[in-house]
Amino acid sequence: MAKILVIDDNADLLETIRQILALRGAHQVVVSAEGADGLAKATADPPDLAIVDVMMPGVSGYEVCRQLRANPRTASVPIIIFTARGQPVDRQAAMDVGADDYMAKPVPMKELLERVNHLLAKRAAETAHVLAGMVVLLSLRGGVGVTTLAVNLAATLARARDGTACLVDLCPSSGHVALHLGLRPEPNWSDVVKIGVPDAEFVEALLLQHASGLRVLASPIFPVVGQGLERTVVEAMLRVLRQRFAAVVVDAPSVLDEATMAALGVATVVGLVVTPEAPAIQTAVGTLRVLEQWSDKFRIILNQITPGAKLPTEVIERTLKRLLLGTIPFDPAQARALAHGAPLALHSPTSPLAQAVRGLVQET
Amino acid sequence: MQEQLSTARLIVDFFVHCYRISGRLDVRKRKLADQLNDRTTAFLQLEDVYVSNIEHPAHITASHPASVLRKQNVTAVVVARQDDGLAREHTYGSYLGAYLRKVFITIPFFEIQGDLRLSGRLDLRAVLATGTDRFVPILDGRMTSSAHSDIVFTGGAILVNRDHVGAFWAVEEE
Repeated sequence: MAKILVIDDNADLLETIRQILALRGAHQVVVSAEGADGLAKATADPPDLAIVDVMMPGVSGYEVCRQLRANPRTASVPIIIFTARGQPVDRQAAMDVGADDYMAKPVPMKELLERVNHLLAKRAAETAHVLAGMVVLLSLRGGVGVTTLAVNLAATLARARDGTACLVDLCPSSGHVALHLGLRPEPNWSDVVKIGVPDAEFVEALLLQHASGLRVLASPIFPVVGQGLERTVVEAMLRVLRQRFAAVVVDAPSVLDEATMAALGVATVVGLVVTPEAPAIQTAVGTLRVLEQWSDKFRIILNQITPGAKLPTEVIERTLKRLLLGTIPFDPAQARALAHGAPLALHSPTSPLAQAVRGLVQET
Repeated sequence: MQEQLSTARLIVDFFVHCYRISGRLDVRKRKLADQLNDRTTAFLQLEDVYVSNIEHPAHITASHPASVLRKQNVTAVVVARQDDGLAREHTYGSYLGAYLRKVFITIPFFEIQGDLRLSGRLDLRAVLATGTDRFVPILDGRMTSSAHSDIVFTGGAILVNRDHVGAFWAVEEE
């Protein structure tokens, strides 16, 4: 059962839709007769889907749609717009303000129910893939704990999937993934640079084996001078790994080089890691702007690498115009874990950090 | 349970000068075409009216609970369903043996293409000059802005005010 908000000034239609969705669709229906009231209801308790009439006195349906999209709490709510105006220009206007679907009145109720259920199923499928498949963790501001998060996430996925997970360190400047896991980074992907596009067998031979079952493609211990991995090479490697493993986690460097862009292109989902401080948020805003073509893939993860919150969560969400996927709390045990090459997710599963990372995976 | 909005009040797009005016028209007693062609009244009463400029036809600039249109100033009327654009006498078999001719019409700000339903030989002048009906139904019509070809209105019927027709021709050879 989903919660559906219906906003329409036509009382008869509102009641008809309420009955259809409640009785035939078994949905919980919240109704509103005007735009401003509908917006308030949506913001106070975000629905799973909103049905909005365009032509309403006061706040129009287009404006309702715009404001729902601008608010992080409601930005991802699927919206069906319907209107008496059924021309192609009206459809385009609805799509331009962020509607997911559009229906012209008179509205066939059977079709409305079908479209509602289709959008709900689509949204469920999308959220089911949060942090699954090919997960790229990224921050263009260094030192925000991307590698720590990548190692713990990959370890958690490996444990959940009987070892069928792989962690890739794409950092060309002496990446630390191997260090976190207590592994010697030999072999590593520097060998690929010499041969060009690798085949599956070559990639397999480069993978390190961790005791947990996690496989690791390490970066070279010495910084790469000049150009690192080419885009086509990274794409080929990641495709091979994606076919081989149920989950692949990529620790992306803090720069939009060829390797990072390739990883972002093939990613199922991108975890943009931020810390609760203004420079990190500014960098994240810029990152989302520059990488707008992959906007749908991005999920925001707040990593509290120092004790005490600096920026409130609401401020971060409002600034980024997105809800946080999760928050990783400061965990003093992390420093010891790094020193011992033993990630908390494996060796201290009840620690706050390990539990929070598990929460990200359990979103799946 | 009501499966679809009642069609007792028809939602119609009217074009008056450079405005798109969408509103509900009560058609319980008389069909749209009959009301438009009724020479005993010069006006048309609408409810829940939404106004746009035809330069930005999806952008609603004003809305009003009621409005009156002067019929002689309406250049065209677009309805979704063909049947809603035909006069009552034309929907009950009077067109037995009729055929469709593709036509092209210009009115202020728009050009219209669609099918004209005929029962005899096409006489372009007669369509515009004889009879008492001011509005000519063009079926499966497509109305394109003369200035912006991406602004298009389509409908099962477009009722064209023949007093505003600039040019009118048949698209195919007879």
